[in-house]
Amino acid sequence: MPKLNHCSDLEALRQKLQEDRKCIQSTIIIPNGTCCQASNSPAVINAIRKELARQGIDKNVQVHLTGCHGFCEQEPMILFEPGNLIYCHVTPEDAKEIVARTVKNGEIIDRLLYTDPVSGKKFRTETEIPFYQAQDRQLLAYNKWVDPCSIEDYIAVGGYKALAKTLTGIAPKTVIEEIKSSGLRGRGGGGFPTGRKWAEARSVPEDEKYVVCNADEGDPGAYMDRCVLESNPHLVIEGMMIGAWAVGARQGYIYVRNEYPLAVQHARLAVKRARELGLLGENILGSPFSFDVDVARGGGAFVCGESTALMTSLEGKVGEPRPKDIHTVKEGLWNKPSVLNNVETWANVPSIIVNGSGWFASKGTKGSKGTKIFALTGQVKNTGLVEIAMGTTLHDIIFKIGGGPKNGKAIKAVQTGGPSGGCLPVSKFDIPVDFDTLYETGSMMGSGGMVVMDEGTCMVDVAKYFLKFLQDESCGKCVPCRVGVDRMLEIVTDITEGRGSREQISLLQELAETVAETSLCGLGKTASNPVLSTMRYFADEYAAHVDEKRCPAGVCKELIHYDILAEKCTGCGVCLRSCPYDAIKGVKKKVHAIEEQICLKCGICVTECKYDAIAVG
Amino acid sequence: MMQTVTLKIDGTPVRATKGSSVLDAALECGICIPHLCHVPSLKDTGACRICIVENVRNGGSSVTASCTLTAQEGMVIRTNTEKIRKLRHNIAEMLVAQAPNSKAVQDVAVRCGVKEVRYPFRNDNCIQCGRCVRYCTEMWRANALGFVGRGKNRRVEFPFATRPEFCKNCGSCTLYCPMSVTPCGGPMKRGEESLCGKCESQTVMTPGMIGACVRCDLGKGFQCTRHVL
Amino acid sequence: MSMTTIDPILEGRRSQPSQLIEVLQDVQEICGYIPQDAMKTVAKELGVPLMEVYRVVNFYKAFTLKPRGKNVFTICTGTACHVRGSDLLIDQVKGQLKVEPGDTTKDGLFTVESVNCLGACALAPIVVQNGSYLDHMTPAKLRKIIEKTRETKKKKEALNA
Repeated sequence: MPKLNHCSDLEALRQKLQEDRKCIQSTIIIPNGTCCQASNSPAVINAIRKELARQGIDKNVQVHLTGCHGFCEQEPMILFEPGNLIYCHVTPEDAKEIVARTVKNGEIIDRLLYTDPVSGKKFRTETEIPFYQAQDRQLLAYNKWVDPCSIEDYIAVGGYKALAKTLTGIAPKTVIEEIKSSGLRGRGGGGFPTGRKWAEARSVPEDEKYVVCNADEGDPGAYMDRCVLESNPHLVIEGMMIGAWAVGARQGYIYVRNEYPLAVQHARLAVKRARELGLLGENILGSPFSFDVDVARGGGAFVCGESTALMTSLEGKVGEPRPKDIHTVKEGLWNKPSVLNNVETWANVPSIIVNGSGWFASKGTKGSKGTKIFALTGQVKNTGLVEIAMGTTLHDIIFKIGGGPKNGKAIKAVQTGGPSGGCLPVSKFDIPVDFDTLYETGSMMGSGGMVVMDEGTCMVDVAKYFLKFLQDESCGKCVPCRVGVDRMLEIVTDITEGRGSREQISLLQELAETVAETSLCGLGKTASNPVLSTMRYFADEYAAHVDEKRCPAGVCKELIHYDILAEKCTGCGVCLRSCPYDAIKGVKKKVHAIEEQICLKCGICVTECKYDAIAVG
Repeated sequence: MMQTVTLKIDGTPVRATKGSSVLDAALECGICIPHLCHVPSLKDTGACRICIVENVRNGGSSVTASCTLTAQEGMVIRTNTEKIRKLRHNIAEMLVAQAPNSKAVQDVAVRCGVKEVRYPFRNDNCIQCGRCVRYCTEMWRANALGFVGRGKNRRVEFPFATRPEFCKNCGSCTLYCPMSVTPCGGPMKRGEESLCGKCESQTVMTPGMIGACVRCDLGKGFQCTRHVL
Repeated sequence: MSMTTIDPILEGRRSQPSQLIEVLQDVQEICGYIPQDAMKTVAKELGVPLMEVYRVVNFYKAFTLKPRGKNVFTICTGTACHVRGSDLLIDQVKGQLKVEPGDTTKDGLFTVESVNCLGACALAPIVVQNGSYLDHMTPAKLRKIIEKTRETKKKKEALNA
């Protein structure tokens, strides 16, 4: 394809691509992101393609591979357009029937329809499904129509319109004002006003400036950024270009964590395609603006999600954070002014330019505008990525969209903000999701991870889990984090193993506050949040562990006891065979027994026993 | 002519060289902010967090390490508030519980008001102050020592854990190590660690001496600028 | 291991210290680990002190100092996987293979690693076997897969004998 030398070239191309797409009679859309591939979507895609060829209709039907749509629990999925018919949990064996009945004859295969886990009702179309209905999908909606490897798809749905509009008539200062008025705040966790950050960077009298995209999404349980970058990399690139124009940067970097190989691949391909079309490089679309992007991989370190550590890593060094008394907008990458924003923040920029700041600001609450993507996971029926307007309550997200508890056990808490966030109890579920409200309750929005926990989760164990994570990921430079997190873990471990005391609980509180106040970087400063929030809202669980040496949720190994119930055991031997430590003894068809000295309470036998014959108490 | 800035430290106006740190500015004037990983000739890293102060601005204050905070015109710094004393106490307590076998660490702990240690003692032989690494890298430019690993596993090591040929054998790494001088009572065996409490600082620590230099003699080869002068 | 193996990796990146992590990623991919000699060569060619290269290799989880086993099982221990029982998978593998995460079995057949979230949380618990994602894993499924891999190797050895 020839280079686009002018905005009119871009518009002409867009028109042509849209015309071409109108001619396609029917499309089979198959999501093929990382989760989808984990659910075997490539086999489904191959099977469908084979069947279409075998049944001779592959010329009239287009198979369109896209990124993640967010409803991961139902993968592999197939969408048929026009008609918006949706099939879930498709297997390669279904391909023959799908092509013969649905594609050829328009018949609906009932067993492949989506069944709502709450009502039991079946739904034919995607738009009717309650999971989607309750959302406000501004960013995620694109993923249905865009093949991440196709710049043409992106242009056809309106891509790079915002860039053209900016370069042909919006001065950098005006762009910054628009972003300020929109109320956009950083989506990576800090929630810093984006417009203000850009303005500060612009004001620095320095020729060499950088824009950086933080795709190091390290929060376990969060994968919104993976989805956006993997499924629609051009959206992020376009946002960065507009930001670069605004602050005066000519070079950008997308720093993607090592654990996201598909996102790295798609981002690199997108950059290549954009360069080929002249959308990256010198004098873009005939304007005086020159800009290029490089994609860099992380090396596997959560701390590199912290802005100064990320920049140090981009420089090819060990990712240790620097003191932030001097802001990175003044001295960042190679000590030059650098604007670092999260993937989702950049992704929101083009629509603000096209639709106006007023449109963005019309959604959300007073302090938090627009929509936010959350990764809803854990013990809920519908897990996946959900995009909602700020201000939606936790209750609506967990019950209306999430469908409520998964395993029949009552929901007890929701963890937001990853290892830097906190756990909120059910009594707080009526709060609107908003940067400031979440912060006031002792948690934080974070990057968008939302893990739902039920009665089977021990909140002290959750604190221990996050402390172990942080201990593993701490860079180790400063004493409060390196030693403090370790000591907090020591105390919480004592508590979960039955050695806790009331003095330790007070010491834990004091230590947590010290770590939060004195750590060098954000990782250390927020490391105490899981401990502090669980102590605040689940003090009764801590009390049970300390005063009664009891774990109410039945999780902490030293405080529980595994017994095979004689009245229920059939002697089938499944537990004996599944025990990795050979701690179960028994003869076929006779009641089995667990040898306490060997038993490590890993819980595998409980999950394997079909007769509920193993009691945990 | 040297450019200076004026800032207030504990109510006292202090004139500092432009570009110097708040810690340097304070020490120059005899205002003792306890510190551990700071060495006058080497780059400050803000690792130990003992030198924390309150930076008062915008109607509130933030706690930050004074060694990495550049002194600026009009800054208002408080080095000895109740909050700072408590935080410093807690950090020093953590340090001495981690590595009690160092006179310098024990002295800093007492200087920061630690009277009992609420954690089980460990017997680390390194507090990761980084002096050895910084001397090797910045002073001698040998790059034979470095911080290797992450978090709990972070340690000071040679490349491949073997002394390389390019080590200059200057001896700085052992000479300036705070662990090289054991506490007054002698080296502590595992299981017998304790808070030594013998530092002469204890005798001069009175509530009235807010911010003043206490000439505390923080271990040999380890004196702060003020004491050396 | 001949150092000419890594020559193509250094192409276009010589004397550029900022390329260190990218270069090491490629070395890890090609060699399966980072050999000492590779570190020395990379240090020299990129103009980075050997100490720095050693530090970077030890800091980032992507780099290993020892060769990995023939089958690498990476168990995700992210929050969503943890809440759905990733600990059971770790226990399973510890008991069955007698190794801790990060280690390789004596026969070099299996390496077990843990990772702090792969971003496939809706399908938790996740185990990656040699780059392929396995979803909704249970200890029983994992045990079978490991047993099958052992069986396949035994059969191969019997054929070659």
